[in-house]
Amino acid sequence: MTELEQSYRRRFDTALTPLAIAIEAQLRDYFAIEPRIDRITARPKSVERFLAKAQITENERPKYTEPLHQIQDQVGARVVTLYLSDVARAAAVIERYYRQIEVRDVIPESEWEFGYFGRHYVLVVPTDLIDPSLDRALIPDFFELQVKTLFQHAWSEANHDLGYKPSAVPLTSDAQRRLAFTAAQAWGADRIFDELFRERGM
Amino acid sequence: MRCYYYEVNWVSTLAIDHIHTYLVHPGKGAAVARQMGGTTVALSGKLFPLLSEIYARSENECDIDIAFNRSAHGAPQNPCRDLILTYLGGPTIVRGRHIAERLEAVTTHRSGLGLLFLISGSEGRDYKIVISRFAAHSAVSAEEDQQNLSVEFLERVFMRSAYAYKAVLYRSPSLTTGFWLGRAVDKQINSPESSNYWISEFLDSDMRTTAAAGTRRLALALRDAAKRTPDVGVKSEIAAAVTLATGLRGQRLSISDFTKQLRLSDAAKQAISDEVRGAGTLDERFQFDPDEFTKHVAYRTVEMDSGGLLTAEATAFDRVFQRDVIDEPEHKVRFSTEGRVVSERLGKMR
Repeated sequence: MTELEQSYRRRFDTALTPLAIAIEAQLRDYFAIEPRIDRITARPKSVERFLAKAQITENERPKYTEPLHQIQDQVGARVVTLYLSDVARAAAVIERYYRQIEVRDVIPESEWEFGYFGRHYVLVVPTDLIDPSLDRALIPDFFELQVKTLFQHAWSEANHDLGYKPSAVPLTSDAQRRLAFTAAQAWGADRIFDELFRERGM
Repeated sequence: MRCYYYEVNWVSTLAIDHIHTYLVHPGKGAAVARQMGGTTVALSGKLFPLLSEIYARSENECDIDIAFNRSAHGAPQNPCRDLILTYLGGPTIVRGRHIAERLEAVTTHRSGLGLLFLISGSEGRDYKIVISRFAAHSAVSAEEDQQNLSVEFLERVFMRSAYAYKAVLYRSPSLTTGFWLGRAVDKQINSPESSNYWISEFLDSDMRTTAAAGTRRLALALRDAAKRTPDVGVKSEIAAAVTLATGLRGQRLSISDFTKQLRLSDAAKQAISDEVRGAGTLDERFQFDPDEFTKHVAYRTVEMDSGGLLTAEATAFDRVFQRDVIDEPEHKVRFSTEGRVVSERLGKMR
């Protein structure tokens, strides 16, 4: 076991797991009276995924020189809404209660492409979620939060399962095109459901 | 040259690597930026122990948790943080001057002339920087010999009190993703404008805790403390504090500050503090948001041993019900109100 793995395992067990539970509980509190929130989850990044990310290189050099401090999604949370219109409402709640250092709408690069859609935040870990009995050095400063519709969430989960398994063979061109097709369908379903929702004035 | 500073009871050894200083003039609204000098401060000599003390003391003195603002477009980018990271990447007079020029560009004549110090070093794996500004004062110097006393008016005296200054402390092991969070102190604070100048304008930062999150914490702590305490006097104190709280609109305060400002008893303070969770949450400052506050403590109810229940909006309770003491030793009171009945309800639970 490398020193990095040992450090992250300790952090995962003692700090990240309870922090994720606390973040999820707090998000549930903030969204308790909000309608059309399908699910709220938060979980720590697994040791395997963290180590894989820590080994990413850019221009043949490690991207992260201090992975424990530079990787900001050690805890990832997700708020899933029913309709596209609900994303802005959920975002308003998040921006009211959390200090953000980054917000971006992740969309495919070209209008001719279909793939992952979602709003991503990097948020400051609130002090009231930091257990005073824990070593503060084990608590990351930030966590990542994604806001997605049900269809965006469903597509990204299946896409991740099919396309990003560490041992999986690379997707063929045809498989990628079929995945893009499902993304386009999810995109279309989101649009139509949202139009129906607004037409019915709910 | 690296200089080590030791202090009794200080666990770690503080290593200061660089100190740069700049004279910062009021420059807000100036059409043309002034040419600015700046100099390196030696890591020895008379000034060094004073600056070392500020560097060491910053860990305790800087007690306002702040975070840099992200860019308006959502990117993780902040102009002041960029200047600090560039400086820490290789501290030079020129790089430090960009920070000083940023401060000058937001300095009004009211804030006046100031002397800015950039004190940087490292502790363990952390890079650390303390940025502090001392305002200019005037003073009189007196020289005496056997026959004469000569006095002279001095216009630019700084650090007359080593305890009256603005400062901010940042430390992080990463010069790429770190340095978003810091701790500030404003020992010269006398108005919201003063605080805005240092934290909002110069540092382009805000409280680490948003107004809504901080106010919600306070409101829930008050509500839960009032609910859980068996002491009727403490319940009453907390209820009165809730009524007065709306007058705090826009103030930057902590839960601790709130209990002190409203002069709550030790028992009430303890009851509130028992409801606060998290490291340092009790002392963390936020901007008070009355709208958020009333969302969580909207109504105040008084229950009488006669079986009566009186409810009104928390902030209006004392206006709606007049309270008269009718038997002080027996703690007997009479509540009264006047108006037209607009509704009556029956319920199965209180």
